[in-house]
Amino acid sequence: MQHLFGSPDGPVEVTLTKDGNEFVLEGARAMLTSRGQLKLQLPDGTTELAHVAKVGDAWWVHLRGHTFRWERIEPGSTSADEGGGLVAPMPGKVLEVLVSPGQQVKAGDALMVLEAMKMEHRIVASTDGVVAAVHFAAGEQVMQGASLLELEESN
Amino acid sequence: MNREEVCNIKVLVANRGEIACRILRACIEAGHPTVAVYAGNDADSMFVEMADEAVLLVGDTIGETYLDQRQIIEAARSTGATAIHPGFGFLSERADFATVVLEAGLTWVGPSPQAIEKMGDKMTARQTMRQAGVPVIPGEEVEEEDEAAALEALRQASTRVGYPLLLKASSGGGGKGMRAVHDPADFDQAAAGARREAVAAFGDGRIYIERLLSGSKHIEIQVLADQKGRTVHLGERECSVQRRHQKVFEEAPGPTMTPELRNAMGQAAIAAAKAVDYVGAGTVEFLLAPSGEFFFLEMNTRIQVEHPVTELVTGVDIVREQLRIAQGEPMSCGDLMLRGHAIEVRLYAEDAANGFLPAIGPLAVFRPPEGPGIRLDTGVREGDEVTPNYDPMLAKLIVWAPSRPEALQKMRRALEEFVVLGTTTNLRFLRELCDEEAVVSGATTTTTIDDLWPNGWSPSPSRLLEDASLLAASAAEQFGLHRRSASTGQTTGEVAPNPFITLQRRYP
Repeated sequence: MQHLFGSPDGPVEVTLTKDGNEFVLEGARAMLTSRGQLKLQLPDGTTELAHVAKVGDAWWVHLRGHTFRWERIEPGSTSADEGGGLVAPMPGKVLEVLVSPGQQVKAGDALMVLEAMKMEHRIVASTDGVVAAVHFAAGEQVMQGASLLELEESN
Repeated sequence: MNREEVCNIKVLVANRGEIACRILRACIEAGHPTVAVYAGNDADSMFVEMADEAVLLVGDTIGETYLDQRQIIEAARSTGATAIHPGFGFLSERADFATVVLEAGLTWVGPSPQAIEKMGDKMTARQTMRQAGVPVIPGEEVEEEDEAAALEALRQASTRVGYPLLLKASSGGGGKGMRAVHDPADFDQAAAGARREAVAAFGDGRIYIERLLSGSKHIEIQVLADQKGRTVHLGERECSVQRRHQKVFEEAPGPTMTPELRNAMGQAAIAAAKAVDYVGAGTVEFLLAPSGEFFFLEMNTRIQVEHPVTELVTGVDIVREQLRIAQGEPMSCGDLMLRGHAIEVRLYAEDAANGFLPAIGPLAVFRPPEGPGIRLDTGVREGDEVTPNYDPMLAKLIVWAPSRPEALQKMRRALEEFVVLGTTTNLRFLRELCDEEAVVSGATTTTTIDDLWPNGWSPSPSRLLEDASLLAASAAEQFGLHRRSASTGQTTGEVAPNPFITLQRRYP
């Protein structure tokens, strides 16, 4: 049974094997308790109860004081990440646009100032490049995930 | 006749979320009838359910709802409320609102409008404190109204104050309109940004400059003053650990405090309160320099977010005292007695691994820790949605133990036990903070977080744990756990039924 998850370092493929009522992955086992909770037996011999919840396509997992979020990629779906686009990290308002199309920028340069949660956030260039497009003007509202600007990476 | 019936106030809480719940609970305990006011997007919030009555504030923005003085006074009139408790933030430090409340014949749970005004304008407060003989941080105030003239005057003042320096909004608070400047080359941009943020947040762009005292501790003194002329302090809180000038880890007593210094700072705080004829609960904030000198930062003329740590070590219910004092009664607390150690951390919906950017989402699972010595002050519960409409603070987790090392141990355990799924929080950041040498030894300063993680913090789970979480996610999908309600363990799928749930249904 294959599962594909998105991560900041690229997709992660997980291949589970079924053993009776348990699932096995590289020496670790997952089972359900009589209360319907997910229990893990780890390769180091310890046992942990995991708290899990699915929100949208993402599984949230709480394990031994750590919280993980794994975005599940359904088989056949394509990645929405087109690269080069700079997206709004939060819903908010554009306070200031600091660049215009065609402008050369360096990695770390501030491109736009957003206001969200009553605080200012700077959108900065992740690489050196040329501003290809600016999609919003000062004063406009943006939704979370909205593409704010396009940056063409210079080589 | 029962004395309580004679002077029982009916309290309207002009706030929301966690602090509204805190105040409502104190009112319920004291036997005061309660009224909540709420914006439309808070209709299902916990504080609305907790109050005896609730009045909808019409409008879409914070300005049209929680900051609309006319609607709030009208809500008090229509419900017969006789007192208003403003909590913190919103209208709590607005002298004009306190005036309107008093003019409407209502009791204001807070200090006089004159005291709020003198302390609220940070530039006036610095001048008042200088006159009262309370030491203030070296710096300069700039009174220019015109933007260009103000920026020019600030630039000139900056050379006299010296670098590094802090730009602060005269009407500021919560880190808004504040900038640290280390290099004169960055000054103009920082000043313009601070001014813009101050205008947007407070409608007042006046900025002043303070010398940035690096290596300092943030120590604040809780004061209480009643209308019978008694003013006391309840000892200190240390709140040095801050990110972007917002506190995340607070404790009482201060880990490096001595009885002599506590007395000196306590007396300075009382002098500060008396200088403005203060009444009610207030907090005088100081910077404690490595030299041992302390300087007045500002006075918060309201209940403070981190008040619970003082409550746990002094045994004083500060909100109950506020209500008592507002009714003209003497405060009930005796001489200062400190017992054990208390620590508070602030749980924020934010991505600590990504510059502490605010996060939103559903609280699909919200399972706070339990056990002896643990207190949770929150305004949310499982199933709520975290939205960008308000402050991203979800809860305050407070622990008490007989000693500081035990309090830290308890906090570590509590943070490991705390489960929040569906919204990114700073839980892991707080947990790892508790292991840092500076925190363990108590040698924290206001730059501790920046010093520890100059390039930002990121979690460090073991490979073993990360792999296990992938197994958990995959197995959860296979077991069909997404079809069950996370809160009760109740299933809608093929998992074995729990007989107790069936019993509950049959015999409710």
